[in-house]
Amino acid sequence: MKPLILVIEDDAQIRRFLRAALDAEGYRLQESATAEEGLAQAQSRQPDLILLDLGLPDRDGLEVIRSVREWGKIPILVLSARGQEKDKIAALDLGADDYVAKPFAVGELLARIRAALRRSTAAATGAVVRFGAVEVDLDKRMVRVDTQDVHLTPNEYKLLQVLIQHAGKVLTQRQLLNEVWGPQHTEQAQYLRVYIAQLRRKLERNPARPKHLQTEPGVGYRLLTDDPA
Amino acid sequence: MLAAAIVAIATVAALVLRDTLAPTNLAMIYLGGVVAIAMRYSRQVSVTASFVSVAAFDFFCVPPYLTFAVSDYQYVVTFAGMLAVALVISAQTARLREHATQAAGRETRTEALYRLSRGLAGETSIFEAARAAAALAGEVFGTRAVMFLPEDDGRLSFRRRTSDPLPVPPSEESIAQWVFEHGHKAGLRTDTLPGATALYLPLRGARETFGVLAILPDPEGRIFAPEQQHLLEVFAGQTALAIERTISQRTAQETHLRMQTEQMRSSLLSAVSHDLRTPLASITGAASTLRAQGDRLPLETQQELLESISDEADRMGRLISNLLDMTRFESGGVELRRDDYPLEEIIGTVLQRMDRQLEGRTILTELSENLPPESKPIMVFVDDVLFGQVLWNLLENATKYTAPGTPVELAAFEEEGAVIVEVRDRGPGIPPGEEERIFEKFYRGKSETARGAGLGLPICRAIVQAHRATIQALPRKGGGSVFQIRLPIQSK
Repeated sequence: MKPLILVIEDDAQIRRFLRAALDAEGYRLQESATAEEGLAQAQSRQPDLILLDLGLPDRDGLEVIRSVREWGKIPILVLSARGQEKDKIAALDLGADDYVAKPFAVGELLARIRAALRRSTAAATGAVVRFGAVEVDLDKRMVRVDTQDVHLTPNEYKLLQVLIQHAGKVLTQRQLLNEVWGPQHTEQAQYLRVYIAQLRRKLERNPARPKHLQTEPGVGYRLLTDDPA
Repeated sequence: MLAAAIVAIATVAALVLRDTLAPTNLAMIYLGGVVAIAMRYSRQVSVTASFVSVAAFDFFCVPPYLTFAVSDYQYVVTFAGMLAVALVISAQTARLREHATQAAGRETRTEALYRLSRGLAGETSIFEAARAAAALAGEVFGTRAVMFLPEDDGRLSFRRRTSDPLPVPPSEESIAQWVFEHGHKAGLRTDTLPGATALYLPLRGARETFGVLAILPDPEGRIFAPEQQHLLEVFAGQTALAIERTISQRTAQETHLRMQTEQMRSSLLSAVSHDLRTPLASITGAASTLRAQGDRLPLETQQELLESISDEADRMGRLISNLLDMTRFESGGVELRRDDYPLEEIIGTVLQRMDRQLEGRTILTELSENLPPESKPIMVFVDDVLFGQVLWNLLENATKYTAPGTPVELAAFEEEGAVIVEVRDRGPGIPPGEEERIFEKFYRGKSETARGAGLGLPICRAIVQAHRATIQALPRKGGGSVFQIRLPIQSK
């Protein structure tokens, strides 16, 4: 059966074009205009993915994320206004999977939806992960670029490993610092930046125009393991 | 006493010379005495001295001696003449002296007021003006003075005062309040509460009362002399006028600012209405065409119209973002979130976001490609999102104003304690004389053909300046222009 997507968005015009675009892609659709109704439907219909607008009339969208995460792992994709980095970070830290800033092109949105659905249904990642010219053997802890062995320091490797585990998903600086360095280092973002810069130099063909280790300005990082749609 | 001594000396001198000089000439000696007395003492004293002198002259110098009797009646004329002359001298000298005293008083007063106006001229805050005036009042009147100003709620209290500690008892606050409300003086030796420790005068301007001057009596009590009282009142009045002037200056400044804002708003409105309407017209036109005749149009045309809708919507979106950013900057609502970032990360993000616009362009980045993998990246202490936006705007301009296919370069290097970031193009360059103006809001180059609201570069400058950095446009050797950002090396 086609995946069911729950759209929680108060603007009728935006719902209208989302309906058209998602219909055309063959997704099944459930719509609601308020947080209250959306939460009820999320529980009763158990959708495969939630598209959530943060600016809802009755309740803060962040509360919806919190409530959903209390009982389930349904992927949540947030629709946010441009420039609201704080909201994006808050949404991601609360457990949202990704965000798309308004105004957005439908192609970008569909790509994010596909990636989120794939992550949630994919089985545990295999032992060898490939992206571009990079090959990572997670069992042997070996990294190759263009079949040449590349030496990574333990922290660099750990960082890469975390990114691979959440491939395609935006990870906030806080989330990455917490997973690699531990909860007591979540404020030391400059560590992270230097390590990312080093990883790029070792893995990317042009570190100034990275194809895989991407920065989400003001929010965090994302590893793209396939060519962007 | 001294006046009596002078008459006595004149008498002794007259007695000594009595045998050698005619009695009428001896009268001159007495007149000399009267002049001396009139010069030093009040009119009353010199008039008395005049009469005494005439009597003494009669007694000692006019035969028969030592009696007031007169043998020769001619002397009556002498007495009358002498008395008249003495009285006239007394009157004239006294008047002269009065004039001199008045002039001296006027001079001190003028000087005090001159110093006051000079002291107040430079003060732009009401409180500072009051403080300067109070200090000067203390100096001029040789005592302690303090001024009280009303608080924000318009009520006068002892809290807003020009000096510490409070020189008057706190219980007298109500006197100051009464003076402030009624605009009349009160306190020590006035009709209202004469038992107070200080004299309270209102600072009354042309329209309202701005505060209260409290002055303590000087040890000699000179401030209660009528001319000093008058001076005090003038002093308080001048201070009030200075405060009034300060307020009206401030109002004028605010009005000016408001006018500027108004002007900005109207130019913003005209720019916005034009720049928003143009893409909106394309969108409305294309969309309505598709709706009305979509099925009769060739597929290719339909596609073109759809593309134009999408492109024009993007353009509108960018314009709206720019406007919002500019407004946020101007209202001071932007808070920098600075941190240490590798420059290449910021550049990488921008290039990634601009992928589509940069299609078909060669972008040369001169910073990390040439460096070995283990070398340290160039770090910058910036707000990554905003600094990225600066680069984004500069790159967008470079693609907008230069021929398609010409290369754009992005370079960064360290120089003299600063990180220099440059965006270089091979376009037509900036016409000489416009290098500064292109950073002004809504400015469009004379030769400008491309469309823009004239906000991109002003936003760049606002962001760069918020980072305490500089941005400038330079001509490029061999043609084109260079936009150079100089970011002093800082760290948190």
